[in-house]
Amino acid sequence: MTDNDSKNSSSAKPSARRAASKKAPARKKAPAKKKKKAATRKAPAVQVKGPSRRAVVVAGVRTPFVRAFGSMLRMDTIDLGVAATGSLLDKTQIDCEEIDGIVWGGVVLPGLAPNIAREIALDLKLPSHVEGMTVTRACASGLQAVTLAAAAIERGDADVMIAGGSDSTSNGELKLPQKVVQTLGPLAFGKGTTPMDYVAALAQLMPLSSVLPTMPKIAERSTGQVMGEAAEEMAQRNQVTREAQDRFAEQSHHRAAAAVAEGRFADEVAPLQTPAGKWVHQDEIIRGDTSFEKLSKLRPVFAKQGSVTAGNSSALTDGASAVLVMSEEKARALGYTPKAAFRSWAYSAVDPADQLLLGPALAMPKALERAGMQLADADFVDMHEAFAAQVLSVVHALGSKAFAEQRLGRSEAVGEIDPACFNVHGGSIALGHPFAATGARMVTTMANELVLRDQETALLGICAAGGLGAAAVLERLN
Amino acid sequence: MSDVFLDLSANPQAKALVKSLGLPIPMPEPLKRARGVYVERPLMDYSVAVGGLDSGALGAEIAQALTQAGANPLLAGDESSFAYFEGPGEAWARPARALSAESDQCPRLQGLVFDATGIADPKALRALYDFFHPLMGKVARSGRIVVIGREPSATESREAQAASAALEGFIRSAAKEVGKRGATAQLVWVEDGAEARVAPVLTWLLSSRSAFVTGQPIRVSSSVRDNGPHRVARSLDQKVVLITGAARGIGKATAEIMAAEGAHVVVLDRPADDEPASRVARAIGGSLLLCDVSAEDAPERICEYLQAEFGGVDVVVHNAGVTRDKTLKKMKPEVWDQALDINLDAVVRITEALVSGPQPTLRENGRVICLSSVAGIAGNMGQTNYAASKSGVIGYIRSLAPAVADRGVTVNAIAPGFIETRLTNAMPVMIREAARRLSALGQGGKPRDIGEAIMFLSTSGSDGITGATLRVCGGALVGA
Repeated sequence: MTDNDSKNSSSAKPSARRAASKKAPARKKAPAKKKKKAATRKAPAVQVKGPSRRAVVVAGVRTPFVRAFGSMLRMDTIDLGVAATGSLLDKTQIDCEEIDGIVWGGVVLPGLAPNIAREIALDLKLPSHVEGMTVTRACASGLQAVTLAAAAIERGDADVMIAGGSDSTSNGELKLPQKVVQTLGPLAFGKGTTPMDYVAALAQLMPLSSVLPTMPKIAERSTGQVMGEAAEEMAQRNQVTREAQDRFAEQSHHRAAAAVAEGRFADEVAPLQTPAGKWVHQDEIIRGDTSFEKLSKLRPVFAKQGSVTAGNSSALTDGASAVLVMSEEKARALGYTPKAAFRSWAYSAVDPADQLLLGPALAMPKALERAGMQLADADFVDMHEAFAAQVLSVVHALGSKAFAEQRLGRSEAVGEIDPACFNVHGGSIALGHPFAATGARMVTTMANELVLRDQETALLGICAAGGLGAAAVLERLN
Repeated sequence: MSDVFLDLSANPQAKALVKSLGLPIPMPEPLKRARGVYVERPLMDYSVAVGGLDSGALGAEIAQALTQAGANPLLAGDESSFAYFEGPGEAWARPARALSAESDQCPRLQGLVFDATGIADPKALRALYDFFHPLMGKVARSGRIVVIGREPSATESREAQAASAALEGFIRSAAKEVGKRGATAQLVWVEDGAEARVAPVLTWLLSSRSAFVTGQPIRVSSSVRDNGPHRVARSLDQKVVLITGAARGIGKATAEIMAAEGAHVVVLDRPADDEPASRVARAIGGSLLLCDVSAEDAPERICEYLQAEFGGVDVVVHNAGVTRDKTLKKMKPEVWDQALDINLDAVVRITEALVSGPQPTLRENGRVICLSSVAGIAGNMGQTNYAASKSGVIGYIRSLAPAVADRGVTVNAIAPGFIETRLTNAMPVMIREAARRLSALGQGGKPRDIGEAIMFLSTSGSDGITGATLRVCGGALVGA
């Protein structure tokens, strides 16, 4: 159905279609080129050829991340997107006429206005030509939005794009069973309804329990498994201990708290005012005072003898983040100093019935390979922390020679990650995880980190529902 | 076609009642059968006990097969056994754990695998007892027992031959003991040098696709040229399959299964069955070929059609067959001829046409699967013609197999036991009941049980099996 929809919308815009068909030959050429490159891959890393036009990350900013049903309760995902995008515009002082479009990620989409990107442009009263599209790729939606914007720029479709993502679990919608829709729909939209039809419809809706809204939960559609259960299973399968998970969670909180204390996020987090007039200045989930001892007292949530607790998992969070992406020439012409560019990105997937959140273990090596790099070449590694169990399972797989041989077709392990350069300012466990906002948050933090610490490259990895994995290599621009 | 006792057994209350009253009613266990297409991890979350690795030769293959298929291995044995599981266990996140049969921690076992290739004399057979004895109470419903050994004729000493041959008696009896739980037991005989071909066979035997196969040795050899890497999902993509007699019953079930795995199926049946045959072809997106297999020009027509339409064929399933039962004393000559012509002569003539010539219609790495019958092995009252044709088929596949092995082609027969079809439903009640119950599993099979066996023999993973007759009979009392 989505396929059809997209076809329809493109045929509604003849100009867009023309543009696409003009580009078609160029696109066809690409795979052939790639093959050639693969054949001569022995060349050193530096010679990997990038696109002729580069998309660069100019700036990024996010709202504070707060616990769901907390201080940003009254702001839905569009409001949060408006807040983050508005802050980005303020911060960069960009001339809004220059903006070509917005690509936005969302996971819990507002049913009545799912194209959040366009709503943000309209709410911000941006010039009407600023188009918008919304993408969804579960927790990788945010990174997907940013890489799509970069792809559009590198392909020559756009010069200036805003990309990001937002999610408000507080404003998730309760879904009425399809039975209600299909019974009442004909009455509302059908013709010639008699009183008897209403009676018949009511009779069909019995028993009442069958028409109650279904409780939303973060469960896989294909397997019914809740994500925490998947993390629990991964912990068992990869023999990740409770202690290791709690130690990792402690480190995430301590690093994030240290970053806040030294003002590292001051440039990345913009305060916002809620409709009630209250100002939210800071992330509210980080607990600098937590400790391994405190974390180990928590009870497992998903299995009696389990190891995944509220403390070593990311919390349900409200928030949004946005980045400004431009072509390098445009950025320089407008007087901006580009921070970073994408050397590569990669998306991949594993069987969701097996190890749901293992995706990055496939996507990260793929992105590294496309970037012509080894894991050890990356100055920073930033991985989304859905659960400590998931992060440590992925780290374990990356370090395993057997995994590399059997599942990546390589003779050597991808590599060990140096803890000192791994999630240097904590991650989703401490900061929170407003699903689609996480990708742009990671891009922003890593782009800034490369500049601040004067380093070359950062490897990003995100796991997502459906067994998806996302990864990207950011490199610093001078 | 319904089996009252099986239905009764499927009802927990009724089953409990029969048990507590001690009624003399057969309570066959409803078999767990795979639903849908082949998946990457057919043994997902199965608890599989593994033994014998410390002396056996197949530790690496067993470890690879189990972990990759998603099973949780429980090991009996010393550290050398665990070493086999280190790499694969890590790659597929299925670390091996120690098996503790006595403790309450031991889960129900979906599989028990014993590597008996290291058993070199009768004394060493004690290892079988030591491994299985404490676990027999832990076998899950529709569980699986697989013993892997060396083929007796291939081993060196007479002691070793005695010990290897003992495995067969062991497994046949074990099959009868666990059959009432819907569980099966098999023996895999591995030729020297064919170790690498065991994994797919082991996985299939442990999976719920082999529900009605039990109590027999299966030989794995390396006589056929290696078919290359195995695909699990949609392994028949781009393959052309010819199934004779595919309008209904076993042929139809097979056509559906193989089409779901990606094959383009040529549904062949006699012109009189145009309507049901074309319905099958339409439903599975296959092609229809109306042809009487016993006709003089049938081999030529079939080859020409396959060449013209598809440039060849990858899998041929000889399923068309008839029964014309009469005691020999009363049998008319045309009745004899009909059974022999369709069941044996047509199979031989069509296959010969497909495999001959400089550019045979049957492509490299092809498969020939002939339907035999348990009656062909054991004989049956009033079936001199039918049984002759069906044992003739076994002789034919044995002789053809080595001739085409260098092209990667395997040739096998499948011998169904009592299968619930139109034919068996027409049997007199008492005879039908006897046929159903006189087997290890105590019930009849379904057409798709045969289809699953044919499907497995069509995959590249079965390239270790050729010239063999696979019984799909639920462990029928008769037949060897």
